Amino acid sequence: MSGTEKLPKEILGDLVVSTGSLTAMLVSKEGHLLAEAGDISYLNSATMAALTAGMFSATQEVARIVGEPQFSVMLQQGEKRHIHISLVTGSVLLLIVFEGFSKVGMIRHYAKKVSIFLAESLAYLDKPVQRSQVEKKEEIAIPTFKEYALNLIDQIFESDD
Amino acid sequence: MPHINYLDKEIAFKIVYYGPALSGKTTNLVKVFNKLNEDVRGELLTLSTAQERTLFFDFFPMDLGQIEGYAVRFNLYTVPGQIYYEASRKLILDGADGVIFVADSQNDRIDDNVDSFRLMCDNLASYKIQWREFPIVFQYNKRDCISPTPVGTFEKQLDLEEIPVTEAVAIRGTGVLETIRILSKNVIRQFQI
Repeated sequence: MSGTEKLPKEILGDLVVSTGSLTAMLVSKEGHLLAEAGDISYLNSATMAALTAGMFSATQEVARIVGEPQFSVMLQQGEKRHIHISLVTGSVLLLIVFEGFSKVGMIRHYAKKVSIFLAESLAYLDKPVQRSQVEKKEEIAIPTFKEYALNLIDQIFESDD
Repeated sequence: MPHINYLDKEIAFKIVYYGPALSGKTTNLVKVFNKLNEDVRGELLTLSTAQERTLFFDFFPMDLGQIEGYAVRFNLYTVPGQIYYEASRKLILDGADGVIFVADSQNDRIDDNVDSFRLMCDNLASYKIQWREFPIVFQYNKRDCISPTPVGTFEKQLDLEEIPVTEAVAIRGTGVLETIRILSKNVIRQFQI
């Protein structure tokens, strides 16, 4: 796996294949889903992202209370499925869902390994020049965007009080 | 600042219902959820105690639709109101793009509302957000109670000035859509890249 030449989604895809895990997700600590790979048919990504961020943030408070700057890894063991959550950067989390608890060592190893690439890729995408080259994105026309959004809001929240 | 995913063409805004314990934050969220079309709303998540008090947060995502080629989403959260969940409240406010402050109109809750609002301002300040420059709607909820606190009380006491104010009876679903509509529009108006 390489770093900046791959997008976060591609790095997550490689991770899923390499570890035989079910799903890998990148989540911001504000609860937004940044990227995902693997099987996502069995879960609601938006809800999973919100819960993951909440769970991790709560754990950081626990760390603070016991005198640790942070807990960098969280592991939840189920009967069949397990989750491994780790910090990629100060504000981004990597969630891996996997089966077979005996894989936990491998999962931890790969999570640590790809975190470096993910951090590089995220930092690369954060630079506007590179980002526009990678994405070939068109600028969002803010006035038009706002006009459409305001109209949609009026339609969706049409008062029936 | 909303989260913008240029690769997958998505923009997500975070809206938080804040307020003192039992003011009706979860009721607002659930009523909004129930009033929305199924094709717009995502799954409603509630993390409650056995007494149905919010333990951590309630949440549902709402898809606004495609705008300028981007899928636009609003993620709606509530905070737990009880005093001892201050750490959770602060965490959930992180990254918020707008706040609906749900005040309890019952006369004996005036101080609770004031304290909660000031705590919210402190929490926002900890994220370097000046509340006066931030999208906030102040909702007087429970307007059906006996001798509700007159509208104007908190505007004066908290110096709310330009903050939009709404009235609601969330338990009946009255005023909940108007409140979220005003806040959402203000969030969009302040949106910039």
